Amino acid sequence: MPLPTIGFAGMTHLGLNSAVAGAERGFEMVCFDLDKNTIEELLSGHPPVEEPDLKELMVKHKDRIRFTSNIEELANCDVVYVAPDIPTDDMGQSDLTVVNELLQAVDDALPISSVLVVLSQVPPGFSRGLNLREGRSYYYQVETLIFGRAIERALYPERYIIGCADPSKPLEASYEAFLSAHECPLLPMRYESAELAKISINCCLVASVSVANTLAELCENIGADWSEIVPALKLDRRIGQYSYLSPGLGISGGNLERDLTTVCEFSDKFGTDSGIVKAWIANSRYRKDWVLRLLHQEVFSFLENPKFAVLGLSYKENTHSTKNSPSLALLKYLKDFEVAVHDPVVSANVLPNLDLRQVEEPVETCDGADVLIIMTPWPIYRNLKPSDLLKSMRTKMIIDPYRVLGGGACRVAGARYFTLGVNDL
Amino acid sequence: MLTHEFSLKQKPKRVVLIGAKGFIGQVLHRQLVGQEIETLALTSSDVDLTAAGAAKRLADIFDEQDCVIMLAALTPDRGRDIATFQANLVIAESVCEALRRQPVAHVIYMSSDAVYSMATTRISEQTPAAPDDLYGLMHRTRELMFKQVGAAPLAILRSTMVAGVGDTHNSYGPNRFRRQAKEQGFIQLGGKGEETRDHIYSEDVAALVIEIIQRRSSGLLNAVTGKSYSFHEVANLVSERARKPVTVKTSERTTQITHRSFDTTATNKAFPGFTFMQLPDALNLILEQEPI
Repeated sequence: MPLPTIGFAGMTHLGLNSAVAGAERGFEMVCFDLDKNTIEELLSGHPPVEEPDLKELMVKHKDRIRFTSNIEELANCDVVYVAPDIPTDDMGQSDLTVVNELLQAVDDALPISSVLVVLSQVPPGFSRGLNLREGRSYYYQVETLIFGRAIERALYPERYIIGCADPSKPLEASYEAFLSAHECPLLPMRYESAELAKISINCCLVASVSVANTLAELCENIGADWSEIVPALKLDRRIGQYSYLSPGLGISGGNLERDLTTVCEFSDKFGTDSGIVKAWIANSRYRKDWVLRLLHQEVFSFLENPKFAVLGLSYKENTHSTKNSPSLALLKYLKDFEVAVHDPVVSANVLPNLDLRQVEEPVETCDGADVLIIMTPWPIYRNLKPSDLLKSMRTKMIIDPYRVLGGGACRVAGARYFTLGVNDL
Repeated sequence: MLTHEFSLKQKPKRVVLIGAKGFIGQVLHRQLVGQEIETLALTSSDVDLTAAGAAKRLADIFDEQDCVIMLAALTPDRGRDIATFQANLVIAESVCEALRRQPVAHVIYMSSDAVYSMATTRISEQTPAAPDDLYGLMHRTRELMFKQVGAAPLAILRSTMVAGVGDTHNSYGPNRFRRQAKEQGFIQLGGKGEETRDHIYSEDVAALVIEIIQRRSSGLLNAVTGKSYSFHEVANLVSERARKPVTVKTSERTTQITHRSFDTTATNKAFPGFTFMQLPDALNLILEQEPI
């Protein structure tokens, strides 16, 4: 059987990175988006999202990837993934309008022999409720996107979770050929199970993060160091080496919050106790304000008109995304102060109502600052020397939640140093 | 969480203080006068809120531009029984009815952290109210009564234990410890005084209310410092500041140990420049004025 041609509808973070990874795996890819500007940018080599290796692979496989805003070109594909962004509101609720409209358009444009797959995250019950053309093969595939590691995850998935109308029937040959090329287990299951599997995975992640955040705060108060405890947990087979055990500033990004909201809504509907999930949400909101609480405790009571240097605007490293970014949440509360910011990718214009001074080099943010706050652990910040940062600071205080610089080096350089999970002043 | 109607502070046309003779009322009245905010200080001798016709008399006093602050309550030292509970509801009913008759520009209700269950440790404004006794239930009920009136932006301030000069409540904590130390030369703890509680300085509570007045804020805020001390620590703080020797006595514990600590993030966000005096500093000021 010749290699199937794969289509992607929606040049989103998920769609673009998945498509480029498919090309790296040797497949011919047709990449469609309704927005002509997006396609033109992609044709000129400028992806709308930031990801390691993305631009390089786009160049490497330019002969294998066809970008188009003409939906009819998808008709030549054996399998077409539909992967628009599913926006969520402030309450974590999904707006499914876009995916429904795109699905309808793609269903109409494809021959009935082509397989349709939704890759965007949808709530339980979505797939079974679709009204596609009679005879259309449709699957829901759980996406495994991680911002900042999107290409890596698309190239080397640990498994594929595939929602099927009837999991006892074999997968369509063209679809199975594409999935099998990734050499990982295939887990066909009914639509509803796949839809809930994604949410289940995220709930387990949030549980680990909430444990880390809660116990790390205890460390900050009782003299323990969370970083010393983590290896003990990673060696426990019941918890494991890949557990999310790093303390952070709450849950960010938007996707985990969406799943927590979905679980609460279904639990309310069916009378299931979702107290633990609501506690995770509360824990996340509480931890997001760690820096703000610290500033009130250690800065505002002692310094008049403190000046701040903030490194990082994106919600985590290696991504342009700022959705639910702890950095942006903090900056809104520093609006009355002088703040210099730096981010390798994100512009300070994302906060148009704030008077932020954006600088080119991380070290420049510290000019005349009292407090340096590293809000995103971008890899480039790990190379900064505390002595260089402190040189032009007035009050030498560093708040480094993610231990980017490390307490030892900062204290040797003469800084007061604060991080998550330990109080070793 | 509070939302502010005014982004910059504005003096209200007039503040009507209901319960001006009480412990907090007096401090607040003095601070309002100090800031040259026109204030009408009402006490029970001006309007008896338990009497028939109280609502009409109060409504005749209110003006549509007033900021009304409701402090009047029979405090726990007057009893935590059913009669006190009902009397407090009658008092609130009179004020609510007056507000129905004559709407005002802003209402502030001084509630209590007793609306939270004692079983809850870390408390924020998101913590569900679940009072354990009639006093807490009274405040929660009154909060709902004022919400139901809905005639003006309403701010509810849930205050933790207040320490300050001139307190008459004699509730377990700094104020009773001072009194005991002065009169008896010792401080009697329940058990070893292991429970931790937040204590806020009376001047800070009043200052926080004035912030809320001037921004015409509405919503819910806990009036707390975020720092909890055990009663044993509080007793030691008092005895260390006494001019004569004071013994701290422990006893056999008869009740379960419960701790309380509060998250002040909502206050920090609502009033970024506001700082609380910590208990040791507050006790220094209190004992300068009321030495033992």
